[in-house]
Amino acid sequence: MQFETSLIHSLRRAVTTRLPATIVLLGTLVLSIVVGAAGGIAQVVNSIVTGGMWALMAVGLALVFGVMNVPQFAHGESFMVGAYVAYFVFNPIHKTLQDNPDAFLAFVAPLLAIIAAGVAGFILGLFLEKVLFYPLRLMSKAGEWVMNAFLLTVGISFILTNGTTLVLGANFRGVPRYWDAEPLTILGAPISVDRIMAFLIATGSIGALWFFLRRTRTGRAIRAVSQDEIGAQMMGINLNFIYPLTFGLATAMAALAGASLLFLFQAYPTVGLNPLYLAWYVVMMAGLGNVAGAIVGGFVVGILQTATQQFAGVVWADVIPTVVMIAVLLVVPSGIFGSEVKGISER
Amino acid sequence: MLELKNLDASYGFLQILWDVSLTVEDGEFIGLIGPNGAGKTTVMRTIAGLLTPMGGEVLFKSRRMNAVPAHRTTKMGISYISESLNLFVDMSVRENLLMGAYIVRDRDRQLETLEFVYQLFPRLKERERQLAGTMSGGERKMLAIARGMMSNPQLLLVDEPSLGLAPHLVADVFHSLQTLQEAGVTILLVEQRVNATLEITDRAYVLEQGRIVMEGPSSELMTNKHIKSAYLGI
Amino acid sequence: MTSIDMEQEKDTNLWGTIVSGVNALGFSPLGAALVIIAAFLPLVPPFNQEHMVRWLIMGAFLAAQAVAFDFTSGYINVVNFGFAAFLGVGAYTSAILANEMPFLIVQPGISPWIGIWAGALLAGLLGLGLGWLTLRLRGIFAAVMAWFVGIALMGLTRNLTPLTRGSMGLHPPTFLETTDNLPYYYIILVMMVVIYVVLRQVTRSRFGLAFKAIGQNIDAARASGINPTYYRVLNFALSCFFAGWLGGFYAHYYASLTPRSVMHTAKTTEVLAIAYIGGRGSMWGGMVIAFPFVFFIEYLRSNLTELPGLHMVIYGALMILLMIFYPSGLAGLYNSVAGKVKSMLAKE
Repeated sequence: MQFETSLIHSLRRAVTTRLPATIVLLGTLVLSIVVGAAGGIAQVVNSIVTGGMWALMAVGLALVFGVMNVPQFAHGESFMVGAYVAYFVFNPIHKTLQDNPDAFLAFVAPLLAIIAAGVAGFILGLFLEKVLFYPLRLMSKAGEWVMNAFLLTVGISFILTNGTTLVLGANFRGVPRYWDAEPLTILGAPISVDRIMAFLIATGSIGALWFFLRRTRTGRAIRAVSQDEIGAQMMGINLNFIYPLTFGLATAMAALAGASLLFLFQAYPTVGLNPLYLAWYVVMMAGLGNVAGAIVGGFVVGILQTATQQFAGVVWADVIPTVVMIAVLLVVPSGIFGSEVKGISER
Repeated sequence: MLELKNLDASYGFLQILWDVSLTVEDGEFIGLIGPNGAGKTTVMRTIAGLLTPMGGEVLFKSRRMNAVPAHRTTKMGISYISESLNLFVDMSVRENLLMGAYIVRDRDRQLETLEFVYQLFPRLKERERQLAGTMSGGERKMLAIARGMMSNPQLLLVDEPSLGLAPHLVADVFHSLQTLQEAGVTILLVEQRVNATLEITDRAYVLEQGRIVMEGPSSELMTNKHIKSAYLGI
Repeated sequence: MTSIDMEQEKDTNLWGTIVSGVNALGFSPLGAALVIIAAFLPLVPPFNQEHMVRWLIMGAFLAAQAVAFDFTSGYINVVNFGFAAFLGVGAYTSAILANEMPFLIVQPGISPWIGIWAGALLAGLLGLGLGWLTLRLRGIFAAVMAWFVGIALMGLTRNLTPLTRGSMGLHPPTFLETTDNLPYYYIILVMMVVIYVVLRQVTRSRFGLAFKAIGQNIDAARASGINPTYYRVLNFALSCFFAGWLGGFYAHYYASLTPRSVMHTAKTTEVLAIAYIGGRGSMWGGMVIAFPFVFFIEYLRSNLTELPGLHMVIYGALMILLMIFYPSGLAGLYNSVAGKVKSMLAKE
C-alpha cells in the first residue's frame, strides 16, 4: 500500500512524479463539468455519492490485495450480506414505526441497520479468514498462493450467492427510502437525504480507516505487513492477528456500502456482482494494492460511469469502460496511482 | 543465554544444517563465519523463529524455542537484523524505527531508545523523514541495525551487515556493534569478512557445509592455519 | 521358434502397437478405454433414455470446455475469466451466419457446419488480441482483463439488437433435421476428443516445453531465448479458438441463445470448477470429472426442485474443500494412487 508521510505530500508527489495521475484527475474534473453542463448538477452530485461508495468498496479490495495478496472475487458478496442484514434489521423496525410513530426511532433505525450490517460484515470476514484462508495458507506452496486464494474466493462467492438463494429465495427485498425527509438542495440540485447519508457514511468510514491505518499502532502494523511481511514479523507483529483483522475490515466496509445503498440497489442474492465489477475496475485502474489510489479512483469511476451512461449510446455503454481500462493498462500497467503489489510484469 | 544443541534444519527436502551446536553467554560478542552457502543465515533464521528446526534444540535463556514463531521471539528479547534488511520501503526512517519498537508499549521508552539510536547513527536523524526505499545501501543497513535495536533486545542477531558496504561504512557499522555490546547487548554476528569479525568478537564458530568445524576464542582462531589459508588468504 | 511362440509374439506386437498408437494420440490405455465406453454408453440402458443422453451431451460439452480451459490455466497459469464470453462469441457468430430469418439485419444463411469454424476463428482472433494486450503483465491482470472483456462482450451482444436480438435471444437452426439427441452426442464427443488430442499434441511439442519452462522459471526461460509473451498469447488464442468452436456446437444443438445464458461469468466459473477439481494442468482430469458431475448436478436439480441452488452450493463447497485439502484434484489423486500401485507391482 502506498501511504506516504502525509496526504498533502502524497498528492504533491503524485502530481509531480506521475503524469498519468495528473492527466486523469484533470480529465475527471473536465468530465464532471461536462456532465454537469449536459445533465445538470444533480448528475454530478449523484456521481460523487456513488463514487464514494465505489471508493468504500475499492478500499477494502485494495487492502486485502495489498496486505494479504488475495484477489478477492467474493467482495461483492460482502456487499450483498450488508444489504440483507440492513434489510432484516430495518424492515421490522419500519413496520412497528408505522403503527407507533417515533421521530427518534425513525431517525436512528436506518443507522442501526447500517451499523449492524457493518458489524455482521466484520464478523463474516473474521470467520472466512480464520476458517478458510488460514488453512489454505498452511497448505499452499509458495508460488501458488495467489491462484489458490483467488479460487477460494470464487468458491466462497458461489456458496454465498447460491446459499442465499436457497435459504432466502431470489426475490428482491428493498426499502423505498430510509429517512422520511424532504430532499435537500445542494448547489441547486435536489438530493435525497438517503443519498447524503450514504455519502457521509462512505466518507466517514474511509476517513476513520485512514486515521486507523496512519495513526494507530495496529493500523501501522497493517501497513507494515503490506510492505514487508517478514520484516513485520521481525518487529513482533503477529500475522495471525493482522490477517483476520484486515479481512474483516474490508468485508465490513463492503457491507456498509451494501447497507447504505439498500434504498437504491435492494437486497437480492446477486446484487453484489455489479459492485464487485466496479470495485475491481477502480482497483485495476488506480493500481493494485494502492489504498489511497482506490479512494480517489472510486470517485473517478463514479463520474466515468455517469458520463458513459449519459453520452455513450446504449450499445456501447458496456464496452467503453473496458476500452478505457485497456487504454490505461497499456500506458500505465501498474495503474494510474501506482501499485505496490509484488511486481507487475510477469514474474 | 543462547544455546543451540545438535540442530538440524532443512528447507523442504534439502537439509542445510547438520548437528550444529553453539553457545552464546550473556554479554558475549560471538562470530559465525564460513563460506557462502554454508548455512549461516539458516542458523539465524532458526534462532529468530522464521524456520522450525527438524532436529535438535534452540534454547534461549533455558527456554526451548523450537516452535516459537518470529513475532514471539522478538517479544522475548531476540532481534534479528536480516541480510535482506526487510525494511518498510514506503515508510520514513522515523516510521521504520518506531515500527522497530512495536513491542515497546511505553511511548517514553520508545522515544528514549530512538534518541539513543540517533546518537549512534547521526546520519539517520538527518534523514528522519526520508522514505526508506529512497536511501542508499549503506544508509539502509544502518537503518536496519538501528531498527533492530529499537525493541531493546537482549540478543542481537546480525546477518552480514558489511555486505555491499564501502570500507569506511563497514568500520562505522562494526564500531556501532561494539558500542552496543558495551551497552550490554549480546551479539551473534554472521559475517564474511573474517578478519574484521575475529578482531571485534570474543569467540567465533566456523560453519562449513552446514556443520561446525571449528570454534574458539577469536584471537586463537586468527592465528589458526586453516583459517589463515582458507579465509584470510595467507 | 515354434509356431505358438510366433503367434504370441504377434499378439504382443498388436497390443503394443495399439498402446503406442493410443499413447501417440495422448491417451493412456485406460483413457482410451474410457472414451470407448463413453461412446457406447448411450446405447445401453439405462443410459439410452432421452434425458440421460441429454445429460451425456452436457457432460461431454462441459468436458470439452474444461480441456480447452485447462490448457490455459494449467499450462501458462492464467485464468481466462472471460472464457464463457469467447464461447458466446463463437455461438453468436455461427448463429448469425446461419440466419435466414428477417429478424436480423443480415441473413447469410451459411451452413452451421461451416459457421462454427467462423465462430472459432473470430473467438481465436479476439483471444489473440486480448492476449497480446494483457499477457505481458502478471497473470492476475490478464485474468481480470479477460473478465472485463467478457462482461463487455456480453453487454455488447445484449445491445447490438439488430444483429443479435439482444436479450430476446436467437434461435439458430440445428446441425441436423432430426430431433434425436444421439447424433449430437457423437458430434460433441468427437469435438471433445479432437480438442484433447490437438491440445495434448501441442503440450508435447516444443510449445509445450516452452510453456513448462515459462511456468517453472520465467527468467531462465527468457535467458534461453524463449519469449514468454509470445507463447502465452499463442496458448490463449488457441484456447479461445476452441471455446468459439464449442460455442458453435452450443448454438446449433440447443438452438437457443441469449447473452446471459451463454456468456455470463457464472458459466466460466462452472468450467473453472470442473477444470480444477479434475486437476489443473492435467487436461484429462476435467474431462473425466465432467460426466459424473453433470449427472450428479442434474439429478439433484430434477429431484430437489424445492431447494433451488443447492447443487451450486455443493459445487462451491466441493471446490473450497478441494482447494484447501487436495489442490491437485482428481488427476493428483490418480497419479499418487497409480504411483503406489506401480511401485507395489515393481516390487513383485
